[in-house]
Amino acid sequence: MKHTLKQVFHSGKFIVGLSIFVAMLLIVIVYPLIVKYPPLEIIARGTFFPPGIYVNVYDSIGSPKYTLNLDNAAANRIASKLSDADRTAIKEWLVADGIPENQIDITDTKSLLDLWANNYDPTKEVSGMTLAKQRYYQRLDTSLRGILSTEGVSIAAKNAQTGALEEVGSVAQTDYANVSQVPNVRVLPLGTDNFGRDVLTELVKATSVSLQIGLVAGTVATLIGLTLGLLAGYIGGLVDDIIMFFTNLFTVIPTFVLLILISFSIGQEHRGAFTIAVVIGFTSWVWTTRAVRAQVLSLRNRDHINLSKLSGHSIVHIILYDVLPYIASYVVMAYILQISSGILTEAGLSILGLGPRTTEVPTLGLMMNWAMIYQAQILGKWWAYFPVIVTIALVTFSMNLMNTGLDQVFNPALRD
Amino acid sequence: MEGYRKYFLSKLLWFSVTLVFAFMLNFILPRLMPGDPVRAMVSRMAQGMTNATGVQAIYQQYTELFGTNKPMLEQFFIYVKNVFHGDFGFSFSAYPRTVASVIKASIWWTICLQFPAIIVGWLIGNTLGALAAYLRKGFDKVLMPVSIFVSNFPAFGMAVILLVIFGVGLKWFPTSGGYGFDLIPSFTWSFMWSVIVHYQLPFWSIVLIAIGGQAIGMRSMSIYELNADYVKYSRFMGIKDRKIVGYVFRNAMLPQITGLALSIGTMVGGALVAEIIFSYPGLGYTMLNAVMGQDYPLISAATLIITLMVLIATFLIEILYGFIDPRIKAAQAD
Amino acid sequence: MKDVALEWVIDMKIPRLEVKELTTKYITRFQENIYAVDHVSLKVEDGKSLGIAGESGCGKSTLALSLMGYYFPPLHYTSGEIIIDGRNISGMDPDDVRKSILGTEIAYIPQSAMNALNPTQKIINFIEDVVQAHDPYKTKKEVHDLARSSFETLGLPAEVLQKYPVELSGGMKQRTVIAVSVILSPKVLIADEPSSALDVTSQKMVIKMLKNLMENGFIKSMIFITHELPLLYNVTDDIMVMYAGQIVEKATAKEAVFDPLHPYAKGLMGSIIVPESGLRNTKLTAIPGVPPNLKNPPSGCHFADRCKYVMPECKVTSVGLREIFGGRAYRCILSEGELREVYSKEAYQNAR
Repeated sequence: MKHTLKQVFHSGKFIVGLSIFVAMLLIVIVYPLIVKYPPLEIIARGTFFPPGIYVNVYDSIGSPKYTLNLDNAAANRIASKLSDADRTAIKEWLVADGIPENQIDITDTKSLLDLWANNYDPTKEVSGMTLAKQRYYQRLDTSLRGILSTEGVSIAAKNAQTGALEEVGSVAQTDYANVSQVPNVRVLPLGTDNFGRDVLTELVKATSVSLQIGLVAGTVATLIGLTLGLLAGYIGGLVDDIIMFFTNLFTVIPTFVLLILISFSIGQEHRGAFTIAVVIGFTSWVWTTRAVRAQVLSLRNRDHINLSKLSGHSIVHIILYDVLPYIASYVVMAYILQISSGILTEAGLSILGLGPRTTEVPTLGLMMNWAMIYQAQILGKWWAYFPVIVTIALVTFSMNLMNTGLDQVFNPALRD
Repeated sequence: MEGYRKYFLSKLLWFSVTLVFAFMLNFILPRLMPGDPVRAMVSRMAQGMTNATGVQAIYQQYTELFGTNKPMLEQFFIYVKNVFHGDFGFSFSAYPRTVASVIKASIWWTICLQFPAIIVGWLIGNTLGALAAYLRKGFDKVLMPVSIFVSNFPAFGMAVILLVIFGVGLKWFPTSGGYGFDLIPSFTWSFMWSVIVHYQLPFWSIVLIAIGGQAIGMRSMSIYELNADYVKYSRFMGIKDRKIVGYVFRNAMLPQITGLALSIGTMVGGALVAEIIFSYPGLGYTMLNAVMGQDYPLISAATLIITLMVLIATFLIEILYGFIDPRIKAAQAD
Repeated sequence: MKDVALEWVIDMKIPRLEVKELTTKYITRFQENIYAVDHVSLKVEDGKSLGIAGESGCGKSTLALSLMGYYFPPLHYTSGEIIIDGRNISGMDPDDVRKSILGTEIAYIPQSAMNALNPTQKIINFIEDVVQAHDPYKTKKEVHDLARSSFETLGLPAEVLQKYPVELSGGMKQRTVIAVSVILSPKVLIADEPSSALDVTSQKMVIKMLKNLMENGFIKSMIFITHELPLLYNVTDDIMVMYAGQIVEKATAKEAVFDPLHPYAKGLMGSIIVPESGLRNTKLTAIPGVPPNLKNPPSGCHFADRCKYVMPECKVTSVGLREIFGGRAYRCILSEGELREVYSKEAYQNAR
């Protein structure tokens, strides 16, 4: 046993897989302790807010002001306001005005604006330009002037008595506020989803739920598979025939389809996470049964079992003490695989909309479902689905890596 | 051919039994729920329908067609009879289209997408796995982690990634549909081309996942075979390595074919989800809409059809295996 | 001690197979060396058969693999020479070895022949491949004729050729493998536990077949590896006993069985029930203990821990093979005379 453990922990693949898995477990456990936001709380009005640090503008106005003189502040300000479309439009106007095209570099904000400031004249007639376009250029010019000015803005509030706007404060262009002094800041590293929920917090909770589902499903499936496999392999005869009959039946009937049917039949109200997990477990025992049975069959005629039989031990005793220890390694591997496949199956079901109820807990599959229904991938809102996929992949990848590592330990021929 | 008869017959028997069982499951499971399933379904979906007469018509038709007011056993036979006539009743969500027409429209898309994809993936995957086992060293060390990683991607994961990279990012391929929205199905060249273009992303996502899974299996199988006694013996008798490799892969292939038969159910499941990601007009997408629309007859029919497809595919593969494995031929010849 | 006077007479016979100080090792995952074959030397002449005996794990199968030049990780060649028909194959190009040595000069019958045949290939197709690998110009008809006549000579029905291995019984498979191994008339045949996995009747047929091989001229000499000692007396001319990777005794069959010198060989012979007239009255003995772990081979005699006659020097002095009259050799710190004295003292005490 000790030697086996030594080899197991010597196996590179196993260590890597285990580390990833444990890392994820730690995150799942520790994160909610630090970040106490409820995962399904809708915090955004609107869909798919991009990732970033969200600073309350109202509060930042009132926060202590610091003056910083940064060289490129103005350039940054302008650059962010001037979209690619605007730059191209400016270039078009300048070209139409007669400026040679090779002198215009739309990426060089400063020179572009200089050219514009020097040449733009709202009164100039450019042939072929529609009225709407003319107005567009006028608006563009006005907004550029606004950006280029170095004055700050005034804050006005309504006078309670007169109802008129009075200036109550001003904000200069060089005023900076310290984010940690702003009372309301929310960091959303992964933005929000379509409902306006914090994706990261949701993701962590979803991972935890999915892992639990996988665990339950895996346990159920492995227990069923182990029992059936042991009985079929050891007792043989009619019991074996019956069990194999059902096993073969369930092999061919696609379990996914079966799950869809069962899940749909249960109905929305009864579909809790736990129920789904158990159902998944009840439909995925086939592979484990077959594998355990094969192992038991090869063990059946070994000497120590015959010896045990001769000593008069009961069948249960033999199975528990003589057969089980030899297939233990195999069962552990099967268990790992069942957990990971349980997670994947739940994800697949949820994408179809047949997963656990959508209002209680998020699961990885559910998050994918939401992203898909609201077309996140087409809209380019990668944060709604990409982290989910990566998480799923990491979870299953780490488990399968552990499994391959174990496989190499128990099966020397597969070693590199 | 004589020798195959026993094999063929036993497989056929098995196929029939499984078929009956599938029918039974498909019939029983939804009806296990308490209450009149039809009423529940109709009432649920009637919330979306404003046409009162329409609701009544559906309910009537369904009750007549499936005889839900008759005892269970009779219902079962009516059900089977209906299925064989291709009569599944009206689709709740796509009323007044019948379920049969909805399925007929989508089934070909699925078959043409999935089965070629699975086979191609199987072929490429096995070849890569075999090469990895034979060449080892560099090739193997690269292939193994990549395969493990890829095979762990859920089918939809791969689908989404391909979609995002090639569809949205690089804009090489369209992101949804089976063909351009503006086109009407016809045998024109532009339509065909549109179909082919739309086919690429779903096809390759299924293929890639299949490759990952198969490569690993084939590699393990090949390594196992490469260590077999007959390999040693053949070497001792002076046979060239290349020829021995031929033996090994022929022998390693056989369980892989069986493996394909066993796993085709899962692969189809995964491929269905991939279809959904791409809004590909196959059975997967139909299923999604059916679920969202609580369309009970459609779901029931779709699951049955999918099961049937998988059963037939498994059956064909097993027959094929009988032709390929010489031991079967030999065992029958006595 | 060598008897110089007779040496040149013995050397006149040029051996078909000669092995000089062959050493091969296994390298484990943790980079440890296990010397499974430790400076083994042997000679096999035409018309003679050599038996190699020893308990499981003593290195006899590894020796066989090494003789065939089959070095695949974790087995590695370390030093020594293997000379077949005067050609030293230890340094030869593997492809040359494959083409001109394996199967044609020296052939091997594996331990469990059950699995030695490709399950999805007909016997005749395999034979075609074997012949083709050595002589690509033989026609199919020639191959079939050769196969048929070989099989008939060896007492195997020709129908076997058209069958798949799965259709043959265990004993038949073993005999088929033997027939296939000698189809190119190799000079030396190495039989690795050819009868161990069979029932007694099949065993007899296999042994008979092997003996016939030399008589029929299929092979010129044979090395027979087994852990079953009674077999060797009836089958082979000379016997070599191996222990923990080393040869501990080399003698003719008669000498080895009735007059073993090395304590291990002596113990082995005493542990078998042999209805031979000379030995019927000896008591059965067992040798307590287990062979040393070759990962850390003991510095002295490998057998010291289990030897009844062990002395303190045995455990520290490295012991070489002593050669005595008649080509006999044994590995012990004591001279022949001293050893025989120890034995007679013991026999005397037992008799009292």
